[in-house]
Order: sequence, then C-alpha cells, then structure tokens
Amino acid sequence: MYDLIIVGGGPAGVAAGIYAARKKIKTMLIAESFGGQSLVSGDIQNWIGTKSVSGFELGQMLEEHLRAQEDIEIVDGALVERVIKDGKTFKVSTNKGEVYETKTVLVTSGSRRKKLDVPGEARLDGKGVAYCSTCDAPIFKNKVVAVVGGGNAGLEAVVDLLPYASQIYLVQRSEMLKGDAITQEKIKNNPKVKIIYMAKVLEILGENMVSSLKYEDKTTSEEKALEVGGVFVEVGAIPNADMVKDLVSLNPYGEILVDHKTQATSMEGIWAAGDVSDVIYKQNNISAGDAVKAVLSIYNYLNKQA
Amino acid sequence: MVKIYTTPVCVYCKMAKEFFKKHNVAYVEVDVTTDDSLVEEMVQKSHQMGVPVIEIDGEIFVGFDREGISRALKIS
Repeated sequence: MYDLIIVGGGPAGVAAGIYAARKKIKTMLIAESFGGQSLVSGDIQNWIGTKSVSGFELGQMLEEHLRAQEDIEIVDGALVERVIKDGKTFKVSTNKGEVYETKTVLVTSGSRRKKLDVPGEARLDGKGVAYCSTCDAPIFKNKVVAVVGGGNAGLEAVVDLLPYASQIYLVQRSEMLKGDAITQEKIKNNPKVKIIYMAKVLEILGENMVSSLKYEDKTTSEEKALEVGGVFVEVGAIPNADMVKDLVSLNPYGEILVDHKTQATSMEGIWAAGDVSDVIYKQNNISAGDAVKAVLSIYNYLNKQA
Repeated sequence: MVKIYTTPVCVYCKMAKEFFKKHNVAYVEVDVTTDDSLVEEMVQKSHQMGVPVIEIDGEIFVGFDREGISRALKIS
C-alpha cells in the first residue's frame, strides 16, 4: 500500500515526486517517459533558471533530479490505464497489467495532441501528415506544405519548416493568429509564408502520399484546395484524464476540475495538476508549481488520516 | 545490423539512440538531412516520411517503437 501514486513524468509529476520523496511520503511515480509535451521542443527559453534548453535535455534533467531522491519508487515505460476506488483507497492499473494500491492519487498525466479529425488524416498519417515539426521538417525539403493551426505550436512549426520547405501555407480557423507576437512578426515578414485565415479544413487528399488539402473559406463558404506535399497538424491538445473520468468532475474540455488553492479534485483522495487540470495557463513552470501545491496538500491530508 | 534514420533535432531519434546505448546495441546512424537520396531511401523502405525509421535485420520500425524494437533485439 502506497500513500501516494503520481501519474505522469512531465514537469508536474517530477516536481511532485521530488517534494513527496523529501516529505518521506511513501510514493510511487508511474510514467511512460520523462519531460512531458515539451520533449519535442527544440529550444525552451522560459524554464526558469535555464536560459536555453532543448525538450530532450529538460526531460533528462527532470529524470535525473527525480532519480536522485532516495525515497521514491519509479515505474517507467508504463501508462496508467485506470484508477478504481476501492473503499477508502484506490487501485491503479497500468498497461503492463500491474495493479498498485494507494491512499491518494495525484494525476499529472498532461495532455496529448488533438487531431484534425477529417477524412484522409489517419490514412495519410506519416505519408505527408505530420505531428512533429522539429522531427520531420527536414524531410519536407523543397516541398510546399501546410501548417494547420495559428497558436504557438502552429507558429513554431512554421519556423521549423522555414529553412526547408519551398512554401508554407499557415491555415487558421479564425481571423487572426493566436501565438506569440514575436513569432508572428517573424512569419508574416517571410515571403515563403502565406497565411490563410477563416479556413476550415475539410479533407486531406492523396493516393499514397499527401497531394492536397481541401478547406472551406468561411467568409465566402467556398470550397478551396491547396496543392501540398505535407500537412503539419498543430490544433491544440486533449487532456489525458481518461483513467479517472468516472471518479472526478471534468469540465466540457475534459480537463479535471480542481480547487486552485490545493489542487484537490471533486473526489476525496485524488488531486490533479498541470495540463490535465483546468488551470488556465498551460506552462511547464506553472505545472511544476501546482504539483508542489498538490503534494503539500496531500501531505496534510495524510497526516490528518494517520 | 541496426540502422537508424534520423534528423538532427528529432527527440524520438535521440530517445531511440539512448535506448540503444543503454542496452549496448551497436547501431549505424543515417542523418537524412545530409543527402536528399537518403530521404528517398528512407521513404522507399518505410513507405512514410517520419523519423526515426529503425531497421533491425531487415525489419522496419517507424518511430521510437520501444516494444517493437525490444522484441526484435530480444531485450526484456
């Protein structure tokens, strides 16, 4: 029986693990990998205390700091599939078939990429449809590509593609871009980039590889097509809350509702922090801080139970 | 033989290489950005355009498929 099981190995999970270990809470942390969603980022410049670090290095730093703690059990390479309430305690099961029992659970499972959910996307995944611009941008050398999504991730995908693609269409649903002003300027002034506003993507076409992208021009309701060899999808994220969805209250976006003072969820014994929670700003630093709040709250809770 | 097709900043490529190092697996790295023909070769072999592509004794794995490559390399 554990006092606490932490679900996830991003900045929130690792911060929680370090604090829990230092409080001598009997803790297990279960993570598929370390680093969270920033893992694929080429350069992070706002992780406080570090001027510049790649997502991969940040993941390594987090893992190293966590493993330096003596009093924590770590299960890596495993995903938590389900949390079940069993009387006053919880049973946590993984995709490896293991089941662990615990008094409290902290969900820091983050979120995953949202897909466009249009015809052709799944069939052409990897065949021109791409989700990791830092990984795959160089493969699209001298090709015309589309990036779907005008938030920060979309803008960064455009920046990643600039040295390689011959032309980039940035396809945005609304009438303005949402990402950082600095990146917007960089993109808008580049002759390779054409921004298409008010566009709803309808379909991705191509026989063996992507050949075009069909969209509706929402101002005129006309259907239009772009000849492209690649489509990078950057349309936001979905919280990974499935494992507790029957136990805790979620908002309409699927985020776990938390008390922002303590990170407690609607279910006694379960806390949540980071992107899986209904925190307004999805940021590494905030996730880490919120997870620390959660552990301190859990520490008080466990002491009261004892 | 183990061959891995990569791009320089691809994190899943780095994760795969770390995995090989951790398990003492010798591998050959092919950075596809050094020559366009290498991209061709990778697409031919894997029928797709994402990195990493890992070739283990003729078997092709797309992405850092930890379970697949563990099975092929008999790592438990």
